[in-house]
Amino acid sequence: MKKVLLLALAALISTMALAQNRVTGTVTAKEDGGPIPGVNVMVKGTRTGSFTDENGKYSINAPANATLVFSSVGYTTVEVPVGGKSVVNAVMASDAIGLDETIVVAYGTAKKGSYSGSAAVVKQDAIKDAPIVSFEQALAGKAAGVQAMSYSGQPGSEVEISVRGYGSFNASNKPLYVIDGVPATSGDWSTGNISTSAMNFLNPSDIESITILKDAAAASLYGSRASNGVVLITTKKGKEGDLVSTFKASVGVSYFSYKKHMEMVSDAENEALQKMSFRNYAEANPSAWSSYGSIDAYVDNRMAKYYPAFDYDKYIYKDWEKALFQRGISQNYEYSISGGNDKGKIYASVAYTDQHGVVKIDYLQRFTATVNGEVKLNKWLKLGGIMQYSWQYQDGHQDGWSSKDNPMFMWKAVFIDRWPYAYKATGDLFEETFSTRFNTINPVAQYKHQINDAKQNRTILKGWAELAFTDYLKLKTTLSSDWLYVHDKFGWLYGHPNFTAYGTGYASDKHRNINKVVSSTTLNFDKMFDVHHVSAMVGWEAEREKFNGLRLGKTDFSYLGATESVMGTTFDEGYAWSHEEGLLSMLGSASYDYDSKYYITGTFRRDGSSRLAPDTRWGNFWSVSGTWRFSKENFLDFPWLNDGKIRGSYGTSGTLPSDLFGYMSVYDYSQYGEEGASYPGNIANTDLTWEKNKNWNVGLDATIFDRYTFSVEYFNRKTTDLLLDASVASTTGFSSTLMNKGSMVNRGWELSASVDIIKQQDMNLTVGANWSRVHNEVLKLSTDDEAINADWFWWAKGYNFYQFYTRQYLGVNKSSETINGVKPGYPMYAEGSFYEKGEIVDQDVVLRDGTVVPDGSAMPYDGYNYAPARRQNASSMPIHGVRAMPRGFGGFNVDFRWKNLTFNMAWNYKYGHYICNSTQDEVANDGYRTFGQPISVKQRNPWTPSNSNSDVPMRIYDNNQGGYYNSSRMLVKGDFARLKNLSVSYTLPREFVQKFSIRNARVYLSGANLLTISKCEVDPEIQSDGYYNYGMPALRTWSLGLEISF
Amino acid sequence: MKKILSIILVAVLAISLSNCKGFLDKEPTDSVVAENALATLEDAGVAVNGMYTLLKYYTVFGNYMIQMGDLRADLLVPSEGNYIVYSYDYDPSQNSYFTLWRNFYTTITRANAIIKNIDVLEVPADKQAIKDDYLGQAYAVRAFCYFNIAKLYGRPYKVDSGASLGAVLINEPVSPSEARIPRSSVADTYKQIETDLATALPLLSKSKNTGHFNYWAARFLQAKVALYKGDNETAYTASKDVINNGPYSLIPRSQYLASWAQVGNNESIFEGLVNLQSAIDGDNGFGGSFYYSMWFGYTNCGASIVPTKHWRDLFALTPNDIRGQWIAYDDPLSGEGKHTGEYWLKKFIGNTGFTAFLNNPRYMRLAEAYLIAAEAGMNSGKSDAASLLLEVAQRADPDVTSIAATMDNIDIQRQKELIGEGDRFFDLMRRNGTYVKNDPHNPFSTVLKWSDDRVMLPISADERIIYPELEQNPGYKQ
Repeated sequence: MKKVLLLALAALISTMALAQNRVTGTVTAKEDGGPIPGVNVMVKGTRTGSFTDENGKYSINAPANATLVFSSVGYTTVEVPVGGKSVVNAVMASDAIGLDETIVVAYGTAKKGSYSGSAAVVKQDAIKDAPIVSFEQALAGKAAGVQAMSYSGQPGSEVEISVRGYGSFNASNKPLYVIDGVPATSGDWSTGNISTSAMNFLNPSDIESITILKDAAAASLYGSRASNGVVLITTKKGKEGDLVSTFKASVGVSYFSYKKHMEMVSDAENEALQKMSFRNYAEANPSAWSSYGSIDAYVDNRMAKYYPAFDYDKYIYKDWEKALFQRGISQNYEYSISGGNDKGKIYASVAYTDQHGVVKIDYLQRFTATVNGEVKLNKWLKLGGIMQYSWQYQDGHQDGWSSKDNPMFMWKAVFIDRWPYAYKATGDLFEETFSTRFNTINPVAQYKHQINDAKQNRTILKGWAELAFTDYLKLKTTLSSDWLYVHDKFGWLYGHPNFTAYGTGYASDKHRNINKVVSSTTLNFDKMFDVHHVSAMVGWEAEREKFNGLRLGKTDFSYLGATESVMGTTFDEGYAWSHEEGLLSMLGSASYDYDSKYYITGTFRRDGSSRLAPDTRWGNFWSVSGTWRFSKENFLDFPWLNDGKIRGSYGTSGTLPSDLFGYMSVYDYSQYGEEGASYPGNIANTDLTWEKNKNWNVGLDATIFDRYTFSVEYFNRKTTDLLLDASVASTTGFSSTLMNKGSMVNRGWELSASVDIIKQQDMNLTVGANWSRVHNEVLKLSTDDEAINADWFWWAKGYNFYQFYTRQYLGVNKSSETINGVKPGYPMYAEGSFYEKGEIVDQDVVLRDGTVVPDGSAMPYDGYNYAPARRQNASSMPIHGVRAMPRGFGGFNVDFRWKNLTFNMAWNYKYGHYICNSTQDEVANDGYRTFGQPISVKQRNPWTPSNSNSDVPMRIYDNNQGGYYNSSRMLVKGDFARLKNLSVSYTLPREFVQKFSIRNARVYLSGANLLTISKCEVDPEIQSDGYYNYGMPALRTWSLGLEISF
Repeated sequence: MKKILSIILVAVLAISLSNCKGFLDKEPTDSVVAENALATLEDAGVAVNGMYTLLKYYTVFGNYMIQMGDLRADLLVPSEGNYIVYSYDYDPSQNSYFTLWRNFYTTITRANAIIKNIDVLEVPADKQAIKDDYLGQAYAVRAFCYFNIAKLYGRPYKVDSGASLGAVLINEPVSPSEARIPRSSVADTYKQIETDLATALPLLSKSKNTGHFNYWAARFLQAKVALYKGDNETAYTASKDVINNGPYSLIPRSQYLASWAQVGNNESIFEGLVNLQSAIDGDNGFGGSFYYSMWFGYTNCGASIVPTKHWRDLFALTPNDIRGQWIAYDDPLSGEGKHTGEYWLKKFIGNTGFTAFLNNPRYMRLAEAYLIAAEAGMNSGKSDAASLLLEVAQRADPDVTSIAATMDNIDIQRQKELIGEGDRFFDLMRRNGTYVKNDPHNPFSTVLKWSDDRVMLPISADERIIYPELEQNPGYKQ
């Protein structure tokens, strides 16, 4: 073993130098004649090599009869014979738009030009300067068919990524993440109140590229987990050449980005509106005010209760926005080294990130370190290893809940200006209950005595060995351990104004360990036989994930500053649990191409999963695909056609149940009094299997006139045997059971195009755009007629997965008559009874278009009764054409370079979908809750007999008629376009920086979420189900950075 | 070099292949595979406990049943805002109260699993009584659930002799398809309750078993069911049996208020067991507990539900009635709550050692057995009706030395004694009683007759989508 290490070190350090002729020269670009730095110059057939410097110059020792090979990423490799000369210059042509660029794909790499699957690549350049914690945040709008949405503007929160629609009801809709060839743990593993992502462990600067596999040809090799696409992350490796060290630092500032987010009326308007609601109530209910003597006295009494006058002698008041929020400052520092030669390569980095959130209690701190090295021991053996370590600490608030612990909720739905902030004389924070409805107290005082944090440690260790039997037959084996440790802590400490809820304080810890060990071995064959290129791979993979969790909580603390449960006196909870799962797989693929013109590829994988019953756990997944690169045909050899291909694929993939033991019948255990208690925990289903996906995909890619690149794709993804937590009759004793039921289709178009508008030596301007449209439709549940009401959604044949289902709001009764029990000025809802086509209706039924089917006649089509009704008499129904899934989405980017200055701009957009703004029930409730809460600007100018044309219902403290409740009133259009990222970067002139022994120096300014074009009343960038409930909206961030390489 | 290589390869393969056996056979650690969960008598005892865990929950007796009983009628009122229960404003798409139905069926399912599986357990002769008792408890729990379903979802028995729709009778574990059967009539539901109780009684133990059904709890239920049905003889006999032969006694006046903190006190026949680990809700009783809604003693408590002026006035002329001390006043200047000037109910003071939120909900108390016996006795001309009533009245108020067995007097005692135990509305409806709903807190003043459709809760509209065989109650949107 020592010998191996010594060899490895020797390989890294030594460069072989033989006394030979000195050859020098300059390498320039064909397009603009400029020097190309970093070109690898090798003496053909030897290991002697060098690199060009910043001015494109190199020197190398080479025999007079040798041939030099010049190669560099992005350029076509050139060979030039030395021919006895001492100066050998080379001119390199840029690789036509990277067609021969190598991209990372499932279990290997492929040339982009020949790849027949559908994969989107996002490169380092697109994410490197963005002010982000996780690379996931930078994916929005970058790739056709891929949506990326942050759950929250809280630093470090999870990002939801969806690839080509949604295929599952109750299993995962998230893609599989694969890091450097090994499936990795992803998602949010914290159980606390903070959203976090396991992917935060990767510093975006350590990522070389991200490939998103979209179709079966690309993803089927990942079998039972590939249905929702696969995100392949490739981290940086050492580059051949000098050891370059790079230091990068940036500092940023963030604040809310969307001005229209939940606008509220002023305090004075609020008071007037509340008065109105009490007055209207009193007028309608004489018994309410009779004991007060007059309506005025009643109204005054109620107002005094909920709207006490400002008392400046006693209290200090404060703008709650300023009390709770701040400009968040972030800092980021990175240091990396990279280098290597033909014997070995190394990349190593350390990075530190520190972000103060916009919410004053939000904070994120992260440290990452990575080492990636490989050595070539001899011509048949290569060894390598990757170590990635990260430590992350997040402190934050409860997000996305109507909760005291959520500052967004407190600010927007609870506080009004006249809530005292502190006592005048003492300056102590006001800690009395102000609003009895919420039992809330000054959140600033609360947050002082609160712990709400999540720590995350992650270590990935990978070792691999590659054995080359010949130059065309190689065996690669990889062993990887991915260890994720998450520790959440929650505490309402002694001194918390609300602490009595838990005695004198509460503190609890939750620990989770997830260890995933993956072993895989593949045998790869790759050989050219004249114009026939054959490659094949067979392999196996075993994956085992062990989980264990531990929770401990105690209450009743005696010391005011105590934060740890060891100081508590009363046991609250404490237990541990664990589970394990396994996946065994065999896989293989084979491809053949003829003269780089015709390509055909097949893949196969057989998976066995512990999540399924022994009889059903093994399944096969496969794909076939082909490409015709028509631009290589002689009869299509047009000068303007740089490249063109048509590709097609068909294949299968799956999604496993999320539940590890969902197929078994189990008993759950809890406690009754002081004794144990057990009961049936589920309805068993031993037939449970994975969801099956059948995908086909056709695409056309072309580059013309050296300038225009475009790609068009059509895909169809049909999922059957959907895993559905199907509702069952209450008389089973359960509300649902996991079944494979029904089918769904996602099909659509993806278009992407880019144009090199300016292509000059000193200036480049490229504009690109992508657009995707996914049509999603539930084809069937267990029967054609079955429908499931899943909260806000309606799952039924013919409907979108995200079809909203609620009461249909019909607006204000603007007439002077009471209509079906709805008084003038009150909100009307559709009565909502469903009638089948041909059914004889039992009342006058109003169709969607307003026509009436008279009582006793036949219904012309399947439909609902839109006749106006009171809320109590209205039924929920699918809201026609209103769903959370966009009709289209995509991105738009501009990349501009002028000499040393670069400018990038990336937009994303989404349209044709609706957002469920559930906050309306609190802040736009037509007055039925009158507890001194803020009121939305949407509530201005309500209906009155003299303002009978208002679209805002009469304001009245009466939940019999008024109020929002769940209805289509909460559904608002979510269309938006957002400037996700803009960055300007300036590379200092080399001549200047070289004076300071600096290789390269660059300053940049980068901004996120700078501009939003939308009419939406809340920040439109929310997760795919469109449900908004006081989450932190996206933040506008400006960041200024510096990068120096030595 | 080759040696090193082969070592590495062998090591990799060895690590990967070891553990291959059983690599895909895993079992949960936080639950038990069903076949192993009822293997011994001890297991059965644990599963018997499992029947009771939901009943105490806030979605059943921990809150909702109390709202259904007292907030729907004239004993309790929301102190601000409105509760849809108070104004009978429930409709099929407001589903929160349907958890009552769901939780009763989940409990029935648990009872059915025991009834079906306990037979195969072989036990020695000296353990047979325990096994019998477990089986008896399962039958009794099922009867208890059916009774509550009939109370909530059917019309009062006597309004139409049980002709309206009652429970769905599910008497064995069912698959999702077998579960979709129509509702039976209230009369058939009562028959099933009587059959289950008749099966249970000879099996049940007569010893005190706090938190569980025993013989006396089943006998009490028999009495109450009979009273609802108008079978006064059975109601009288069964309740007298509990009074005379059961191991319970009325708690003396001096200890009565404090006895509400005592788990399994002498008067309690059947109660739900709560503690921090098996609380009334998922939040140790803070969020959903009814006692939380009523209590005012802490800054964090709501007292969103308070006793009505009507109920407080019952004590106007009886200053020594100890139950009047349940009325607490949150003085605007010196109150222990939030200085609101509200009266609140301080009956449920919390189990000893816990906060007021952690109360064992009382399902059956001896005091009520006296009141049932008095009422059934009065109705059937028994001579001791007045003395039975006096026991309860005098225990609370020494000033009462005699009391006539009239419906009015029984009614007043029931209201005074049983507030917060969720009985009032059902009490009124079973005998078409009258009440006045007109509290200063809330202008809603409608009262229901026993024939009103709103007496029956609606079946959830969502449930009927997947279970169309489940008939909606009349008066609600189909």
